[in-house]
Amino acid sequence: MKRKVLLMGGFHKAYALSASLIQNGYEVTVINNDYHNCHSLAELKSLKVIFGDATKPFVLEDADAEDMDIAIALTQKDDENLVMCELCKKRFHIKKTVALVNDPKKTEFFYKMGIDSVVCAINAITNIIEQQAIMDEMAKIFPIGVGGINIAEVPIPTQSPAAGKKLWEINLPKEVIIGCILRGEHSMIPRGDTRILSGDVLILISSDKQEMNAVRELTGK
Amino acid sequence: MTIWKNNHKEELYTVIIGCGRLGANLANSLSEQKQNVLIIDRSKESFRKLSTSFGGLTVVGDATDMDVLSEAEIEKADVALVVTDSDNVNIMVSQMIKEIFHTALVIARLYDSERKYVYEELGIDIICPADLSAMEIKKLLAKNEEEVL
Repeated sequence: MKRKVLLMGGFHKAYALSASLIQNGYEVTVINNDYHNCHSLAELKSLKVIFGDATKPFVLEDADAEDMDIAIALTQKDDENLVMCELCKKRFHIKKTVALVNDPKKTEFFYKMGIDSVVCAINAITNIIEQQAIMDEMAKIFPIGVGGINIAEVPIPTQSPAAGKKLWEINLPKEVIIGCILRGEHSMIPRGDTRILSGDVLILISSDKQEMNAVRELTGK
Repeated sequence: MTIWKNNHKEELYTVIIGCGRLGANLANSLSEQKQNVLIIDRSKESFRKLSTSFGGLTVVGDATDMDVLSEAEIEKADVALVVTDSDNVNIMVSQMIKEIFHTALVIARLYDSERKYVYEELGIDIICPADLSAMEIKKLLAKNEEEVL
């Protein structure tokens, strides 16, 4: 059976997300409280569109919310997103709820209120811009999910202060580990006495705030 | 601690969120009873509804912002009354006050009673104007019937 996804609010985000979810074989329903937006959304093939305010239980009922596997709240307003997800969770017992949050300070609060996944667009975008602008030449960074954990790929240049040192000789920040060293064709899981050579590529696993310091320490930039 | 509080009833600290007709009315009457009152609204204009003798504090700001709530020292409040004109805002702010600032008594006004029971679970007291009006009207009708009989 097809997995069912409910998208609540949002227009451009809902449109793009529905198109991609439908392509990936999901059954998608959107709820939008603007009639014109509903018309535009209805142009997408096999998308079910409901006109109404998804913070109202009877609108969610119309959308058959109780049959959904995932509910995603995409409006611009934090309060609406919270209420939508809470209704989906508590009243319609949807297993997974996802909410967009604009105010980064509320992320933790949303999790506390039982929302399964909280996406802070502002944080995500500023992080990406920062990485693109500052980190690009030094390292590639891949953020992992919600835990604030990153995996980074760091090439070691010849002039690096870390080149030629053993791992335990490098002063890495606490919340960073070197998970793997790629040397030419080989890869190895390092130990404390493994020596880093220039030309190595290190795979770092680190907390959100520490990867900059770690990269600086390793590349000398 | 509770005993001490009961002995000093005049020391009650109430924070009101939303200075509409209901918020301003409550603020005025609590201030008249010499209670400590702080009222938050996002627009300065709203405070014109407060009476000239209002002796409490006013804060201009968005109560959905945690910094505004901390500025109001809501964690020290005995009661929080959440009465803005938006149900969704009231729901979110009430939960923030309860969960983050642990204010003992949180009362929120919701226009839509359909969502009521979801939030009563969370220890927030909900007032629904439509329900209250219906109750009063029923009372009047019952009284009327008695008189006719």
